[in-house]
Amino acid sequence: MSDEMTLYLQVWRQKDSKSKGGFQNYKVENVSGDMSFLEMLDMLNENLAREGKDPIQYDHDCREGICGACSCMINGEAHGPGKKTTTCEMHMRHFNDGDAIIIEPWRAKAFPVLKDLAVDRSAYDKIIMAGGFIEVKYGNAPEANSMMVGKEVADFAMDNAACIGCGACAAACPNASAMLFTAAKTTQLSLLPQGKVESKKRVQSMIKKMDELGFGNCTNERLCEAACPKGISIISIARMNREYMGTLLKSDY
Amino acid sequence: MSWVSSYFASSVGKKSVMALTGLSLVGFLVVHLVGNINMLIGSDAFNHYSHFLLSFEGIYVLEAVLAALFLLHAFFGLMIAFQNSQARPDSYSVQTKSGRGTTFASSTMPYTGTIILIFLILHLFDLKFGEHYSVPNEEGVRDIYKLVLVYFSKPLHVAWYIIAMISLAIHTSHGFWSAFQTLGFSHPKYDGFLRKSSIAYAVLVGAGFSFFAIWAYLQHGGNV
Amino acid sequence: MSSLKLDSKVPQGDIKTLWEDYKFNAKLVNPSNKRKFTVIVVGSGLAGASSAATLSELGYNVLNFCIQDSPRRAHSIAAQGGINAATNYQGDGDSVWRLFYDTVKGGDYRAREANVYRLAEVSNNIIDQCVAQGVPFARDYGGLYSMRSFGGAQVSRTFYARGQTGQQLLLGAYSAMEKEVAKGGVKQFTRREMVDLVVVDGKARGIIVRNIITGEIERYAADAVLLGTGGYGNVFFLSTNAMTSNGSAAWKAYKRGAAFANPCYVQIHPTCIPVHGELQSKLTLMSESLRNDGRIWVPKSATETRKATDIPEEERDYYLERKYPAFGNLVPRDVASRNAKNMTDEDKGVGETKLAVYLDFKDAIERLGRDVIEARYGNLFEMYESITDENPYETPMRIYPAIHYTMGGVWVDYNLQSTIPGLFVLGEANFSDHGANRLGASALMQGVADGYFVIPYTLGNYLGSEKLDKVSIDHEAFNTVEKEVQARFDKFMNIKGTKTVDHFHKQLGKLMWEYVGMARTEEGLKKALVEIPKVREQFWKDLKIPGDSKDLNIELEKANRVADFFEIGELMARDALNRAESAGGHFRLESQTEEGEAKRNDEQYCNVSAWEYTGDNQEPVLHVEELTFPNVPLTQRSYK
Repeated sequence: MSDEMTLYLQVWRQKDSKSKGGFQNYKVENVSGDMSFLEMLDMLNENLAREGKDPIQYDHDCREGICGACSCMINGEAHGPGKKTTTCEMHMRHFNDGDAIIIEPWRAKAFPVLKDLAVDRSAYDKIIMAGGFIEVKYGNAPEANSMMVGKEVADFAMDNAACIGCGACAAACPNASAMLFTAAKTTQLSLLPQGKVESKKRVQSMIKKMDELGFGNCTNERLCEAACPKGISIISIARMNREYMGTLLKSDY
Repeated sequence: MSWVSSYFASSVGKKSVMALTGLSLVGFLVVHLVGNINMLIGSDAFNHYSHFLLSFEGIYVLEAVLAALFLLHAFFGLMIAFQNSQARPDSYSVQTKSGRGTTFASSTMPYTGTIILIFLILHLFDLKFGEHYSVPNEEGVRDIYKLVLVYFSKPLHVAWYIIAMISLAIHTSHGFWSAFQTLGFSHPKYDGFLRKSSIAYAVLVGAGFSFFAIWAYLQHGGNV
Repeated sequence: MSSLKLDSKVPQGDIKTLWEDYKFNAKLVNPSNKRKFTVIVVGSGLAGASSAATLSELGYNVLNFCIQDSPRRAHSIAAQGGINAATNYQGDGDSVWRLFYDTVKGGDYRAREANVYRLAEVSNNIIDQCVAQGVPFARDYGGLYSMRSFGGAQVSRTFYARGQTGQQLLLGAYSAMEKEVAKGGVKQFTRREMVDLVVVDGKARGIIVRNIITGEIERYAADAVLLGTGGYGNVFFLSTNAMTSNGSAAWKAYKRGAAFANPCYVQIHPTCIPVHGELQSKLTLMSESLRNDGRIWVPKSATETRKATDIPEEERDYYLERKYPAFGNLVPRDVASRNAKNMTDEDKGVGETKLAVYLDFKDAIERLGRDVIEARYGNLFEMYESITDENPYETPMRIYPAIHYTMGGVWVDYNLQSTIPGLFVLGEANFSDHGANRLGASALMQGVADGYFVIPYTLGNYLGSEKLDKVSIDHEAFNTVEKEVQARFDKFMNIKGTKTVDHFHKQLGKLMWEYVGMARTEEGLKKALVEIPKVREQFWKDLKIPGDSKDLNIELEKANRVADFFEIGELMARDALNRAESAGGHFRLESQTEEGEAKRNDEQYCNVSAWEYTGDNQEPVLHVEELTFPNVPLTQRSYK
């Protein structure tokens, strides 16, 4: 590779959830632009392991932008400077030789740091448990084509269903609010006829759970939408607000 | 009534209070601004307009409602700001750059709001509960026109007023659109229009009120 | 010396009614008794999550374990293209029988007919179930489902949700499982890695896991153990699998007595983004649905240096269309992959590394318009551009085959039960259904079918007919196994050598790709059987693990997996050497037709090879399950 870079990293190191963390400096050499951000960290880890030092812990798995495991705050931007991208899909060509890069974990009361850059995002699972599903029991499903859904509605449901649960929305939000995550799920499910039935209960209990878990209140700052690797729009948040307010005014029967 | 209390305890419930009170205040500001136009017509017009309002029987109810809107808006706003600071106990060492959605206005809402709150208290203290001039020959009619001109004859007052109005403009430039978003009015078809309206409203209100302060100052060249 | 016997337990009778009859004859567990049974489900992918959710809905106590921080991250999520079903919504002549037929044939006659028929039979229920869960499959403007034809199929039977079908199906199964977690039927254990299986009185009764965060070794007991732990493709180091995908759970089952079947059948996916350099950590797959509209070609001349767009039509070789006029670019995966390799072997490869072929959308964009192509493949194009910095709307994509899926796995009978009673294996982790080669959009189908529609009956049958004594985690067997596990981790920590895990893993991967990859020879496989143990020996001598075992220690986690990969890789080579024929994903250069196609040897190898573990440093014992094809007559595959 001809275009090799040297980078100066400042990485958040924290032994475990109880310890106090701090930044540590690392110099990484021979970084090629075709490498992904995680491959650059792999290289650093490989060096650390060879020297007998504790490698940096960061969550990652599929490395193709769909599992939602990777989660780095890179120079103050969730998943780094790219648009609609995850950390694993961020390529080093977005950086220049000699750049300083500050890497922090997601920070939110609801996402406690486990070690270094890895945080506990089980809060998102708990929001799903509160109602992010359709209560259909195995074996009860009606014939698939018996329900018709317009293409636009189905497409918008799919836009929202694309959420990968990475946590970037809450991490980027100045208020650490999980509204975009929650709204994406309520929107997907209540738009479809099969999910509409329980939409009132769903939106109430999911928002209640979200609040209980210590996420902040949305103040429409739109950073979630900018950070979302799947480009989910805050239109869904407005939709959820409307649905939630409806629960106060409307009855199902 | 647990469903009502749980509604208002929820994040979306609190925000809907912010939005509804905010929009009402947005409406009030327009009325206030339009009323101020009487000043340009002359002292009689302005004083009679103000007398008409004050002698209206239900004025105390209206004032109480207005005060309640302000207080609710301020109370919920401060509560939300406090809770949001709790949601991220350890802050990032690098702050996210603007331009990825957030604007100066959206990220300073609690601060501009606080400035407006302080302004409001002083505004009532200085004008509504300020010096009581009477209009000569008209029993019981307060010469609010004179009070305004006297008050704004001091450059410091004008400056403070304009600072407050800039804060108000910044606050509403986000707040106006934000209220619609919170209330669920958001669609690609009209979201752009709402955003532009929000800015237009902010400019109108900020510049409009500031104009009157400057106008009042200029009326007597600073000497009453 | 061996007590292991392979009994497929396929019921007798007409294949069309086998599963109906089975369900009627299966033992049932009384609803009030179900809550007395505890079932361990390892893995939270399509097979794991769907079975955990379903079993909990039925009333069983389920313990679910996953390696990631959330069950939603299991690697099923990365499947892009779609899921097959024989709904015939398109009226193009599809049927259960045709899906069954295509799957058996696509698998090159190395799958068990009865299992495949059952899979085709439940395929329609899968779509209904997933739709009811809110999976937003693509629809037409009329509001009904839109389907497409997919790799090797001549009917449009593939349901899809943009390029994220696996994600949507998994999130459906995940949400069903989370619903059960909230109700208390499923207990969810995240960031836990199964490190051994506990067998009591010959039956699977529990597992030992390592808590990845604390490094603690934990024990869990149950009445049955289900593995939905995926495949072992990462043995090659570079594959499209996720970083934590591993073969250890299945391997531990093998070492505790489960036969391991057909390890040599590995699927190489034809449409991946080519390798860029030495430090690459994984390969990225692009859905093969791209082949529906893209045309694959290489320059006719091996000395070509021009840019793709500058090469005139007449100097391009659309080799798949030329060689297989009926199927063209839609030939099965193994055929497409091998042909790409042949082209690069002839030095006609493209790009900087010369290890790639073109996939060109120019004609499709001209024919259908950019909008249509964007609607179909927009996210894949974006992904390609983000990785390679090239715009596929303007210049052809470069693609190359990569390890993608393993058809082999733990041997299971018709009940999905391994040779250890009480140990059931689902999805990619088992060997069934796909034979020697899996058709596109069939992996999702199998994972979900096993979890939602098969295991509820077969597990009920097991629990309803076996007498199971209570076993607690204080049982002697747990003590013994935990000690062994602890000793293994201590051993890793005590090597204190000089090289990292990845160093050895990469060496293994190179050996595997070289000798046990796309084209295998007797000589190469014999060499692999000599070389792999050598590297393994080095691994155990010179490995360096920093930190502490009682802590979050990623190097230690990796070491545990790679140690198993060495053994899996060796068995793969052994199995490939034993199978002196070409079939599906297993291609032996010695066995090919004059045209260079895979040539089966049905006389000798119309069977499943299942290996039995007999001890470290001892050769495993081969057991053979003969396959018969009364319903789909054996023919040589031809895609001409």
